[in-house]
Parts: sequence; structure tokens; C-alpha cells
Amino acid sequence: MSAGIDQRLERLLEALPEPEREAGERALAKALDALPARRVPPRPHLRAAALLLAAAFVLLALAAGALAAAGALHVSFGQLPPPSRQAQTARSARQLAVPQGADAIAVVVDGRLSLATSGGLQLEGLPVTVAALSPHALYVAAGIGDSLVAMAPDGRRAWSRGAGGRVTAIGWAPDGLHIAYVVARDGGFRLHVVEGNGRRDRLIDTAVRPVTPAWRADSLALAYVAAGGDPVVYDLAHRSRTIVSARSAQDATRLAFAPEGGALAIGTRHGFAVAGGGAALNGFDFAPARVGGLGWLDGELAVAVDPAHPGREDTVVQLFAVARGAAEPLGSLVAPAPIAALDADGGRLTVAVAAPAAIRVLSSSPGAPTGKARLPQTGTVLELAPGSSVESLAVR
Amino acid sequence: MRGAPVRTTLGGVGDTSDRELVRRARRGDRDAAAELFRRYWQNAWRAAYALTGRRALADDAAADAFERAFAALDRFDVERPFAPWLQRIVANRTLDLLRAERRLAGDDPPEPVDVGSSHREGDRALLEAVVELPLERRVAVVLRFGIGMTPKEIAATLDLPVGTVNSRLARALEQLRESLEVEHVRRD
Repeated sequence: MSAGIDQRLERLLEALPEPEREAGERALAKALDALPARRVPPRPHLRAAALLLAAAFVLLALAAGALAAAGALHVSFGQLPPPSRQAQTARSARQLAVPQGADAIAVVVDGRLSLATSGGLQLEGLPVTVAALSPHALYVAAGIGDSLVAMAPDGRRAWSRGAGGRVTAIGWAPDGLHIAYVVARDGGFRLHVVEGNGRRDRLIDTAVRPVTPAWRADSLALAYVAAGGDPVVYDLAHRSRTIVSARSAQDATRLAFAPEGGALAIGTRHGFAVAGGGAALNGFDFAPARVGGLGWLDGELAVAVDPAHPGREDTVVQLFAVARGAAEPLGSLVAPAPIAALDADGGRLTVAVAAPAAIRVLSSSPGAPTGKARLPQTGTVLELAPGSSVESLAVR
Repeated sequence: MRGAPVRTTLGGVGDTSDRELVRRARRGDRDAAAELFRRYWQNAWRAAYALTGRRALADDAAADAFERAFAALDRFDVERPFAPWLQRIVANRTLDLLRAERRLAGDDPPEPVDVGSSHREGDRALLEAVVELPLERRVAVVLRFGIGMTPKEIAATLDLPVGTVNSRLARALEQLRESLEVEHVRRD
């Protein structure tokens, strides 16, 4: 019997299934990128120049060593020296800080995740496509390569699963038990839902847009944008879909469920609409101004409105009370620059603004006044180089 | 003037030896590297799949292995055969991923095995029995019978004494035999 198993084992690999073609294509592209750069044999005069450069480097190092010995220059290899008091002050504005009273903040800028937790964890520069915090910031889910990865901010438990493509949007259910994510595949985008522990992945829709899915407060339904541009509400328990087919909701770019009542705010390029929950609103148009973000702040709808002509008007976060088919403006918060991302969680509003000199992340205190006021300048929690692209922002 | 279409061959690599392909790939020749990839991708993926029992993990492990192998071509001894070197990288990378997953997921049971539906019944039963082996025994079996490493090579790959490898192989075969006998009785 044992000899029979030996022979069957030897044929085991031949009998195994074949890899999917897409997996091979992705792997080939990745492997070719890792190849050594094409080498050109050095020409004699270049070789001489290289030798001169090396000699210059040695002289420079010797000079640096002499300066260091004289105390004029600090030279160190490996671990950085503790910064001086002055340096610490200068650097503090460039390090992500957890807004007061929050558990964590996660920002993805130019494909790099910056994460800070109230427990003291500081993570900077992890290459990701997008990231989202779980309720109470117990985990952060991120797209890394072609996988969806969940990391515990204390590093204790996490999981990873192949997504079959780049994860372009993630939404964590309010009860923490499910994650909806959008993955790029076969030239389009697919929506999946996976349990919060990484198990039982379900494909929900094979043709969607890469818009962050929004969860209803009871975690039993989620909204996403179908490939045609219509918002869709998917009921997890009944596996049923309801298409929001209003002209003002077409080509939705942002979705946010109200914290109570089931109203769904649908942001478009120049306006918003609200569906369901007894607060249905057929549309509010800011054109030519653009909507830069959307969220619910203590039951009021917060809409970031960027002027069409920068400099002529202020960028504001406009607050609305939405009820019985009408949106009543309550006031606005003036932002110092166009808003690249907005996150509203409970009573806290956090925005990333693209100032000329830097991307700044500002966070208001819970219960901030809803009348016209400037966003708190002292609430800056991160400054980044100008021209950066903010892919996602989350505070919990 | 229109003539008959002319066929030309643009630097074909199909019949080139592995050694020559490696030399060319080292110089940054992407066609040569792609040919190496095509020759060994399927076997590398299948080895990773046999170790993990899951397509997604096999995709990641085999892709990572090729990426590392190509990045390390400069350090590869061209006087030695390419395939066993690559398979060792595949095995090590797959083990790294499995260990990392186990470390991160604690003692939770693994995901259900994703065995394809296209297997012959006997192969399917054997594969299921293999992926149900404890990790250390499964690894020994796949490296020995799937990849064709000797116990000495497995010991070097896993940094274990040869005696331990032989012991794991013997226990794994015993367990497989029992599993398949149980399966046989069930079908009867």
C-alpha cells in the first residue's frame, strides 16, 4: 500500500489543477519588474570617472569624520540619534497625531498608509492601495498588492487573503463583523463582502464602480455604485438589491448612510441626493462648485463644497438638516483650501485639505459649533508635501 | 508592389537552455526571463498549491517566489540546475506565508481546502489527505514526492536534521495510508 502511495504522490503535482491565467500574468509582470536593470559595460573613461567619484566620496567621508570629531557635524550610521528639542518641534506637525478623544487615524496619501493609534502605535509609509479602520479602531483593513489584509494596531492578530486584484475601496460594517471591498479584476471592478475575521468571502456584484461601499447603521445592508452609475442598496439577509434610480443620484461618487433611520446620502460631482429613511430628497445642486466629500455629523449631513474657481470663494463644509424631502442649511465651516477627503464619525469631522504648501489633515472636536466658523487650525494632525493625492481618510 | 508575406524569427528563446536564459535574464533580457517564467510557473504554482491547498495563497506564494528568484539571479550559480533552486525558493516562500498566517491567525482552523473539481476521484482523495496532514508532515511529503527533493535537500531547506525529515516522511505516509483506507471503506 505504501509503495502505491509513493507512486501516486509522485504524480500528485501533475494531477493538480492549473493556475488561473490572470494569476500567471500578474506574477510574470511582478517577476519581470524584479529583474536586475539592463547593464551596459562601463566604458574606460566612465570607469575612471567612477573611480574619481569613489575617491571623492572617501575624502568627503574623511572630512565629515573630522567635522564630527570637532563637534560641528553629527555623523551616525544605523539608528538615528534622539532629535534635539528644536527638531522635535519642527517635526511634530509632520507626524500623524491622533485627534483628541479618537482611537486612531488612518490616512492613505500617494499610496502610503500613515496610521496612528491612541495606544502609541505610529506606522508610516506602508504601501497600500486603500485602508479603512474597524469600529473603535480595533483593526485596520488595507489593500496590499493583490491581497486584502487586516492588521491589529497592537500587532497581536491579523489575517490576509488574496483578492485576485488590487483592492480599490474598503468599507467596514459598523458592527465590525463584515467588510465590503471593491477589487479591480478583468478590466472592471467587483464587490465582495468578507467576514471581519477574513473568512467566508462572498462575491456580491461583478460590475461596480470603485466607490467606497457604505454600510447602514444596523450593518444588515450596504450601498454601492453599480457599473452603470446607479447607487444600489444590497440587503445581506435577503440577498436582494434595490436600485436607486433617480437622475440626481446618477454617477454617484460618494455614499453615506445616516447614523439613524436608514437615509442614504448620495454624493455626485456637483451635488447630492438622499434616498430612503423618510428623508428622501430629490437633489441639491452646487454646480459649478464641486462636492469634495460627504458624511453625517451627529445626524446632520456634512458636504464639502469646493468652489469652481479657487480664490473667488471659500471652500466650505456645508451642514444640512435633511427631513421630509428638504435639506435645510444649518451653517458652514470654512476650510483654508480645497478638501481632498472628508470623514465624519459621530460628532467629529476630519478633513484633508490641499493647501498650496502642504496637504493638511484637520480634525474638529466632537460637538463643534455648526454655525459659520473656521475649522480649528490647532487641530492639524498631519502635514504632507503639496501635490500629494489623498486616497482615503478615516478617524475612529 | 505586393509580395507574399515574409515570416521572420525575432530572436527566439524557445529552444534555449535554462543556463543561457538565466545569463541573458541577468543582463536584463525580459524575453529570456519571460521564457524561464513560462517553463516553470505551472510547476511552481502547483507546488505552492500542494503545500497550501488554496488557490489564492498559491498565487501569492508562487508569484513572490518568482519575484525573489529573478531579483536574486545575480547570486545564482549558473553551473547548477535552475529548477531545483527555484523550487526551493517556492517551498521557502510558501512556508513563510503559511507560518506568518499561522502566527497571525493564532490557533484558528485553516480555511476549507479549495481542491479543484477536475481531479480524478483518487487524486482528489489523495490531495485532500495530503492537505489535511499537519503542516510539518505535509511540507515533507510535498517537497519529497511533489518537488522531488532528497531527504538531505529537505533537511537543508528546512534547517532540520535528516533524521527528523525521514521521521516526518514515515509518519506522513503512515497517516496518508490510514486516511485513504478509511476513504476506501467509506466508499465501499
